[in-house]
Amino acid sequence: MPDITLILEVLLIIVKVMVVTMILFGLPLPLTWMERKIAGHIQVRLGPWRVGPHGLLQPFADMIKLLFKEDIIPYKADKFLFTIAPLLAMVPAFAVFVAVPFGDKVMIPFINKEVTLYISDMNVGILYVLAVSGLSIYGVILGGWASNSKYSLLGGLRSAAQMISYEVAISFAVIGVVMLSNSLSLVEIVKSQGNSIFTWNIFYLPVGLVWFVIFLIGSLAEVNRIPFDLNEDEGTLACGFHTEYSGMRFSFFALAEYVAMVTVAILAVILFFGGWNAPFDIPLPIPPIFWLLGKVIIFIYFFMWLRFTLPRYRYDQLMTIGWKVLIPLSLVNLLVTGFMRIG
Amino acid sequence: MSDKNSGFNLIELIKRVVFADFVKGLSITLGYNLSRAISVKYPDQEKWVPYRRWRGLHTLNRDANGRELCVACELCAKACPTGCITVIPMEDDSGRGIADRVAETWRIDLVRCLYCGYCEDACPTRALRLGREYELACTDIRCTIRNREELLVPQPIPEAIEGGFIVRAKFERTSAGIKVVADLRDSKKRLI
Repeated sequence: MPDITLILEVLLIIVKVMVVTMILFGLPLPLTWMERKIAGHIQVRLGPWRVGPHGLLQPFADMIKLLFKEDIIPYKADKFLFTIAPLLAMVPAFAVFVAVPFGDKVMIPFINKEVTLYISDMNVGILYVLAVSGLSIYGVILGGWASNSKYSLLGGLRSAAQMISYEVAISFAVIGVVMLSNSLSLVEIVKSQGNSIFTWNIFYLPVGLVWFVIFLIGSLAEVNRIPFDLNEDEGTLACGFHTEYSGMRFSFFALAEYVAMVTVAILAVILFFGGWNAPFDIPLPIPPIFWLLGKVIIFIYFFMWLRFTLPRYRYDQLMTIGWKVLIPLSLVNLLVTGFMRIG
Repeated sequence: MSDKNSGFNLIELIKRVVFADFVKGLSITLGYNLSRAISVKYPDQEKWVPYRRWRGLHTLNRDANGRELCVACELCAKACPTGCITVIPMEDDSGRGIADRVAETWRIDLVRCLYCGYCEDACPTRALRLGREYELACTDIRCTIRNREELLVPQPIPEAIEGGFIVRAKFERTSAGIKVVADLRDSKKRLI
């Protein structure tokens, strides 16, 4: 007969999983609004304006529109693969958040119980994150293959090749951080970055900065964002692997892309910018989660800012950067990091 | 002396490493992001007031004593390239017009009109002038033919206002239709 504390623990984990999943399902709504508003203002126009005040209800309108669209499965497409491809893209993006910590411990006032702000503190946390996020490549490949369309197939293959190449670069950056923080656990990595802005991993000069740049470029390519989004390019490839998807299935792909972007932003903050640590010792009682969210929002703004500034790389330039620039740079940086950590 | 065109150029390499071109592009877009959007929020909040020469809906004008300037000489009808103006003269000694000849009918078909302004150039008394009203859409084909009485009514934007700017406006639904009413006080205008 399992005792009451075990049942409560399991219940707590289930509640946390549900909270995280609900938040992640709802996140693309403000994110699409933010993206379109930032797009508008960078292009000196207004973005969504009339649907609700300042266009705030625009994501809801988009959601309703996507729900009402006809669900088309192309002729002679592989029905089973076509159906599960969006799910295979979406579920790993959510599953990554099991290991991502949003804070340390929080005391809930009414029950007087301490609750940790992560679902699980694995001591191989970052390894789990890398492994599970690699699964989303299946969704891309299957989506491209199962659509029975030449544009989708090409887009899917190119996308998969791009994602695999830049996974290597991201893994190197993660190895660099692990060397700097001496642990694979994400909570330990944040804790080892101390309390002041100068002990954050990015300021461990010169290697921290280089690892951060490698991680940033690799993760931009991993989530298929400009300047690496040739495979979703609406102009030449007619949207790549999600050309033939419409309605809710397309919204699953879009959701997967936004959640992946959030994942990458949170990872960058945790690995390089001190996670939920405040930059200076400020006497105000600001809960650490606000620092984390503030930094993540700055990163998301930075990704969107990049999107509306840069043109996209050609496919061969993309693969050149992935293999011929990032990997040798990572190896050299690994050597330098090793030397710097001898002491 | 080092040759600037030789294979290894240190300045170029440093610029590449620090992503100098990216930073320059990002600063330009950040500048745009933090600046005011130039969209005109028409018709809910703003409206563009045209400059004085703008060729909009026609107006028939009166002189300082209130007499109609139009003497029904039919020069505008002859000058019109599409033939959309119909003028029928009439004798009237009552002092309605500046002379004893006034227009019994002065009709214009707005759908045919090019708004080219030849009729305004042709008018000898400056009775016919193209005004600044441009919101001419209506739901009934009958309201595309305007007559003398309608065109004698002064337009909302008086000739004293110089125009060429955007002002705040209100969107009003009246029983007569939808109107966008511009707020012509000076303090609320912006250029662009």
